[in-house]
Amino acid sequence: MMANEVDQTQDRLELRSRLSDMAQLPAWIEGLATRHGIPANVQFAIDLCLEEALSNVIRHGYAGMDDRSVSVRFTMPGSGYFKFVIEDQAPRFNPLDSPEQPAMSPDEENRIGGQGIRFLRHFADALEYEATPTGNRLSIGFSAAKPTRLPEA
Amino acid sequence: MAIATEELTGGITKVTLDGRLDIEGAAAVDTQMHLIAASRKAVLVDLQKVSFLGSVGLRALVIPARDIKGRGGKMVLFAPSEMVEKVLKTSGADTLVPVHHELKAALAALQES
Repeated sequence: MMANEVDQTQDRLELRSRLSDMAQLPAWIEGLATRHGIPANVQFAIDLCLEEALSNVIRHGYAGMDDRSVSVRFTMPGSGYFKFVIEDQAPRFNPLDSPEQPAMSPDEENRIGGQGIRFLRHFADALEYEATPTGNRLSIGFSAAKPTRLPEA
Repeated sequence: MAIATEELTGGITKVTLDGRLDIEGAAAVDTQMHLIAASRKAVLVDLQKVSFLGSVGLRALVIPARDIKGRGGKMVLFAPSEMVEKVLKTSGADTLVPVHHELKAALAALQES
């Protein structure tokens, strides 16, 4: 198997701390979705939240050090409930303590970005942070039971 | 992520995006989106074939929209999927770049500008 190919049968993904490694993520999630019957809308939410969380670890946690690793472990603690545990060895940082930036608005056109934590809170059903002896552990849960609705206009 | 442009009547440029607008997809279209933003004043971005939108991808839409607006023009988004639209609404990007599901309404919005 080439280094960039993904073994879709594994429930654990290990990435190096470089954004280019994130290209493995969609195929890995697609494989899990197929094997475990994850609904399309939930798969989208997983894709979005993992992209946010992993890119934050790589860009901010490891801050340019591209020889570290970050892992994602998938579990199904119950029927229709999908849990992803992200572990890194970066300096301790609890993203759930970060203030949620306001949504973009026409009054503040120059404030673009900072939506990562907002996406995690709106698209995931459970978020849990734990400092580990060597870094950080962020657990993100998704329920297939909760219908995904558009926010109120 | 593929990007294609088409010149419509009334000076409107239609930009069709196809694929995942994630970190990799945004990098693939970024240069062309900036070129379009620097040279066009009425731009319709067709999102029908965009299967994923993340926060980096969002910037690839919002920054050109802001630049076009800054030059007195307008950009609109057309026909995002339900989940892509949820990203646009959750972030508030839809308040900066109008979202339309009817092509006629999208074109009319650009012609008003």
